[in-house]
Amino acid sequence: MNTASPLIAASRVSQIYAGRDGSPTWALRDVSLQIGRGEFVCLIGPSGCGKTTLLHLVAGFVTPTSGTVSFAGKPIAGPGPERVVVFQEYALFNWMTARQNVEFGLRTRGLGRKERRELALGALERVNLRHAADRYPHELSGGMRQRVAVARALVVEPEVLLMDEPFAAVDAMTRQALQEDLLRLWQEIGISVIFVTHNVDEAAFLAQRVIVMGAHPGNIRADLAIDAPHPRDRGSAEFAGLYAVVADALATHTRRAS
Amino acid sequence: MSLASSEQSLIPAEKQATADFEQTFKADHRRRHRNAALWRVALNVLGIVLFVIVWELTPRYSSWINEVLFPPPSQVFRTFIPMFLSGEILENIRVSLVRAASGFAVALVLGIAAGVITARVKALQYLAEPLLHGFRSIPAIALIPLCILWFGIGEVSKIALIAWGAFFPLWITTFIGVRDVNPIYLRSAACLGAGRVTTLFLVVLPAALPFILTGIRQALSISLVVLVAAEMSGASSGIAHMMSEGHQLFRVDIMFIGLVVLGTFGFIVDRLFVAVARRLFPWYQITS
Ligand SMILES: Nc1ncnc2c1ncn2[C@@H]1O[C@H](COP(=O)(O)OP(=O)(O)OP(=O)(O)O)[C@@H](O)[C@H]1O
Ligand SMILES: [Mg+2]
Repeated sequence: MNTASPLIAASRVSQIYAGRDGSPTWALRDVSLQIGRGEFVCLIGPSGCGKTTLLHLVAGFVTPTSGTVSFAGKPIAGPGPERVVVFQEYALFNWMTARQNVEFGLRTRGLGRKERRELALGALERVNLRHAADRYPHELSGGMRQRVAVARALVVEPEVLLMDEPFAAVDAMTRQALQEDLLRLWQEIGISVIFVTHNVDEAAFLAQRVIVMGAHPGNIRADLAIDAPHPRDRGSAEFAGLYAVVADALATHTRRAS
Repeated sequence: MSLASSEQSLIPAEKQATADFEQTFKADHRRRHRNAALWRVALNVLGIVLFVIVWELTPRYSSWINEVLFPPPSQVFRTFIPMFLSGEILENIRVSLVRAASGFAVALVLGIAAGVITARVKALQYLAEPLLHGFRSIPAIALIPLCILWFGIGEVSKIALIAWGAFFPLWITTFIGVRDVNPIYLRSAACLGAGRVTTLFLVVLPAALPFILTGIRQALSISLVVLVAAEMSGASSGIAHMMSEGHQLFRVDIMFIGLVVLGTFGFIVDRLFVAVARRLFPWYQITS
């Protein structure tokens, strides 16, 4: 954790949404947070505590009602390829093949057709999907689609990957495979990852740091450092310990608020 | 994670057997598809044949149908041959086709452009909304007299009428399609660094395509309706003009030829639309 020059810094950020009748909802209230280069951070908390909101602020989809979010020292003005989001729902363009989806982010870079194609196939190779390059999303399984989404995000070489419950919609076995793949890629590339989940096991398996959030108003309740090395063995006593720490923090910190 | 490993552990003989099986499976699949397609075409043709037979027999064997008012297909065909050989029919078809296609093409460009712009720029939407909806409720046919007054009975007035009629379904479907593009697509595009033009052509328009295609299909059939109405109310050529001449000469057989041509025309256009859309947009399942 390089707190001297954090990659992402939120200071006293609040985000208020207007309800149907104009009454304010504090999706986030006075949230301050710093995330360093190369960190793998999980955001965990109950539904409605502002995890997605926080992620979208970093992505630049929304601007905070008050406070600032900055990236590499500069305030975030909008979305950009240094901060790519992998969505919970399938956000692949279903009118493009897997390869064309991955190529999409390379179109604005002035690369030749052939070069683009090679980079895209390379990215698909990394997620073990080179053989499915010419299939359309509806011809892929849920797990394969999320792999393509990861490849599409990584091919533009972002500095941080923002993931909003990316593996929530796949079965448990596929999910574990996807988690292992993600860890491998993260270790190879060395980018930062902010990973939203409300699954304790997932946080305990992936994160170097778990940020526990609570609702009404949405804010950070606990910030846990998890020093155990990767890969973690789900069957080990250490993992059971990690799981207990995260589950415990989630239970105590979110109960107190409600 | 890697399904490939299980494949590698198979012994060569088993691999060969699998390959053979897959080959047969593929051939079977193809054959089933071809048979289903043939079966469909056969029934299609049978339907037409049955219709023609009933049509042929009805005027002959019923006392209450006048053959002059309801000529059987054999007589229509006898009239058709010389008209076809002299090139009269083909010329009329060509003229009508050019009119319909020109009007439709104008509407296609303007309708989609207007749909995209009004959906993407709120101020323009609010500005144009009442006018477009107001004009949309005027049937194009109601404008025929005015159009003839302004542009005469030449090509311009017909093309303008067809374009007018076909514009509105294209505009409204494009508008809805573009307005309702899933924001996740737009956000994905934005964070992958796509600019406005890339986003428009590679994301917004393809995402709105199911709507736009519906609009195109509606616009095609409206084009045909307006074409006929415009040709009937003042023209010196074209299929519908040929029919109104038949009317004046009390030649029902000529009018029937016109109807058959129009029906065939509409059918072929719709088939063509489905085939082209399937070809161009393989990810989108169009129902025929
Ligand atoms: N566009 C919006 N308009 C109005 N209210 C919103 C909007 N987006 C989020 N909210 C509200 O803000 C709060 C936080 O929402 P957010 O989506 O960030 O929660 P979350 O932690 O991601 O929840 P979940 O785990 O269910 O995804 C919720 O109360 C939600 O109702
Ligand atoms: Mg969420």
